[in-house]
Amino acid sequence: MEFLIKIVYILIFPGLLFSTVFGLWLAGIDRKVVARMQKRVGPPVLQPTYDFFKLLGKETIVPSSAARHTFLIAPYVGLVSLVVTALFIPIGGLQAFGGMADMVVILYLITIPSLAIIFGGSASASPFAGVGVSRSMVTIMAYELPLILVLLSVGRAAGGGLVTFSMEQVTLYQQLFGSFLLDWRLIPAALAMLLVIPCEVGAHPFDVGEAETEICEGPLVEYSGAPLAVFKLSHAIKMFIMTALFAALFLGGISTGMVWLDVVIALVICTAVTLVCMTLLHAITARLKVEQVFKFFWTVVSGLALVSLLLVWFVD
Amino acid sequence: MFKKLIDNSAAKSPWLFHINAGSCNGCDIELVALLTPRYDVERLGFKLAGTPRHADIVVVTGPVTAQSKDRVLRTIAQVPDPKVIVTLGSCPRSCNVFRGSYSVVGPLDKYVPIDVSIAGCTPKPEAIIDGLALATQILKEKRGAK
Amino acid sequence: MLPFIKEAVTGLFSKPSTEAYPFKPVDAPAGYRGRIVFHADQCISCGMCERVCAGGAISTRSEETEEGTLITRRFFLGSCTFCGHCAAFCVKHAIELSPDYHMVARTEEELVVEGTYLKKKPAKKAEAAACGNAVEGESSVKPREDGLPVNDPAKCVYCTLCAKKCPAGALTVDRKEKTWVLDEDKCVACGTCAGICPKKAIIM
Repeated sequence: MEFLIKIVYILIFPGLLFSTVFGLWLAGIDRKVVARMQKRVGPPVLQPTYDFFKLLGKETIVPSSAARHTFLIAPYVGLVSLVVTALFIPIGGLQAFGGMADMVVILYLITIPSLAIIFGGSASASPFAGVGVSRSMVTIMAYELPLILVLLSVGRAAGGGLVTFSMEQVTLYQQLFGSFLLDWRLIPAALAMLLVIPCEVGAHPFDVGEAETEICEGPLVEYSGAPLAVFKLSHAIKMFIMTALFAALFLGGISTGMVWLDVVIALVICTAVTLVCMTLLHAITARLKVEQVFKFFWTVVSGLALVSLLLVWFVD
Repeated sequence: MFKKLIDNSAAKSPWLFHINAGSCNGCDIELVALLTPRYDVERLGFKLAGTPRHADIVVVTGPVTAQSKDRVLRTIAQVPDPKVIVTLGSCPRSCNVFRGSYSVVGPLDKYVPIDVSIAGCTPKPEAIIDGLALATQILKEKRGAK
Repeated sequence: MLPFIKEAVTGLFSKPSTEAYPFKPVDAPAGYRGRIVFHADQCISCGMCERVCAGGAISTRSEETEEGTLITRRFFLGSCTFCGHCAAFCVKHAIELSPDYHMVARTEEELVVEGTYLKKKPAKKAEAAACGNAVEGESSVKPREDGLPVNDPAKCVYCTLCAKKCPAGALTVDRKEKTWVLDEDKCVACGTCAGICPKKAIIM
C-alpha cells in the first residue's frame, strides 16, 4: 500500500502527469498574458501543449558529428530530475517525499536540468550551441549564489537559532507563526527569489543562454522532434517547480484544514508568481548581456539576499 | 488516440523558418509584419523559429542566386519531416525581374518541389496568412500520408 | 521601468489591436493592384503590354483557324510585379488590375490568367489576296525620300498609339474607319511614331 501511494506520487501527483499538465498550462498563461500586455490577441492557452504534441510527431535528426547517445539521453535526464524535484517541494503542505535536508536535495536537483541542456548542447557539436553552453554556465553561476543565500536565510528563520534544511520544518514553522512574506526581515530575500526564478527558468530578460533571435536558442539549436519536445516540456515544468518553491518558502503558512483547498491555493500562488516575475518582466524588458546578468546577480540580487540573511541572523 | 492528438496539434502549431535567397527585402518585411500586434499570427500558433531543425514550414523569398543556392538547399534538407515549402512573392516562383541575370540560377522549383506559392510583389499580409493557412492544411495531409 | 509597467498593464486591460483576418474578410484599399483581369474582347493585339512588362509575365500564342487567328494572351501572376504598366499602356483598356489579393496556389496553373479571342481576317485583305496584289506579311510600301513616316496598312492595327505619342500632333488615326492620315506640314520627322508602333508598321 505504501508502495502504491509512492507510485501515485511519482507518476500522477505531484509527479510526472500533474507537473506536465500544470507546467504546460503555466507556460500557456505566460504566453497569452505577454501577448495581451503587448496589445496582441495571443496564442490559445493550450498552445504549448499543441507545440509539445506536434514536436513528438516530428522526425528526430541527429547531426553526424554529434555524440549520439549523450545527445539523445540528455533531455530525459533533465526531465526526470525535474519530476523528482517536484516530489520534494511541499505544495500546499503536501509533500510526497521529505527528509532532514531536502532543501539541499532540491538545490542540487534543480541544477541538473540546466546541466542536461549544457551536456546536450555540447554533444550537438554546433558553434551556436557552444556559445549558448558557455553563456548557460555563466548564468548558472550567477543565480546559484543568491539562491543559496535565500535558502540559508529561510532555513535560519525557520530553524529558531539553528539553520534547518528541512522543507517540512519550514512549512510547519510558517503554519504556526505566519508566512515568511509577512516577516519584514525576509522581504529582501523574497525579492531576490523573484529575480532568481526567471533566471533559473531562462525567461526574459535573463535568457542569454537560449536567446532565440541571437544564437538560435543556443544549446537547443540542433534538436528536433521528441528530444526538443522534452526540453520544451522541461522548460514548462521548471516554471512550475520554481514558482512552487517560492510558494513553499515564503507563502507556506496558508492552511485551511482541507488538503485539496491548500493545494489549489498553492497553485493559484504559483500562477500569480509566474505572472509577476516572468510575464511582466518579459513584457517590459529587453535581453541583457551575459556579463550584465552576472554582475546584476552577484551584486544586486546577492546583496538583497545577504541583507536578509544578516537580518535573520542578528535581529530577533 | 495519441496519434489523433499529434495529428490535430500538427496543424495548430506550425513553426516557420524564413530563408532569404537573394530577396529585395520587400517580402521579408511583410513576413515580419505578420508578427506585429496588428496581424499577430501567433494567435494561430505560428512562430518564427531560429533554426531549420525546429521548423515545419520553410518560407523562401527571393530568386535563388548562385551564392545562396547551396545554402538554401542545405537548409531545406535540414528541416525534419513533415515539412512544407512555401514561396513568398514572385521571385522564387519565376525569378521575376531578375530573370536572366548572371548571378541568378533560380527559380526554386528547378531544385525542390514547391508546395504553396503566394503571388504578389510583395503579397499583402492577409494573402500571406491565407498561404500559411493552406500550408498548415498540407502539413496535416502530409502527416496523414505518413 | 515604471512607464513600461504602466504600458503593459493598460495593454492587458485594453482591446487588442489585432485584426481578426482569416475569420473576418478584409478588403484591399482603393487603388490596390492585385490579380489581373483581362477583357479579351477588347484586345486588338497590339502587343504593347508584352513589350513593357518588366517581369516577362505576359506571353501570347496564336492558332490559325479558318475564320481567322485565335489569339490567347497569358498572364503568369507568379512572374508579375503588379506594377500596372501593361494596364497603363493598353490603349483599349483591356487589362485591369483588380483589388483581389488572394493569390495563393498549390500549382502553377492556378496563377495563370488567360483570355482568348478571334482575330477575323479582314474582308479587304481577303479580296486583295484574291486579286493577287498585296499579301499579308510582305511590305508593299517604300520609305519616303523626304524622311517623313509612311504607314503600312497591312501591318497597322489602328491602335492610335502613334497619334497619341506624336509630339507635333501631325497624325490622325481613326480606328473605326481604319484610316491613317499624316499632316505633312506639322510633321517634324522625329521618328517617335515609328519607335512606339507595336507592330512596326511605320517606316521612316
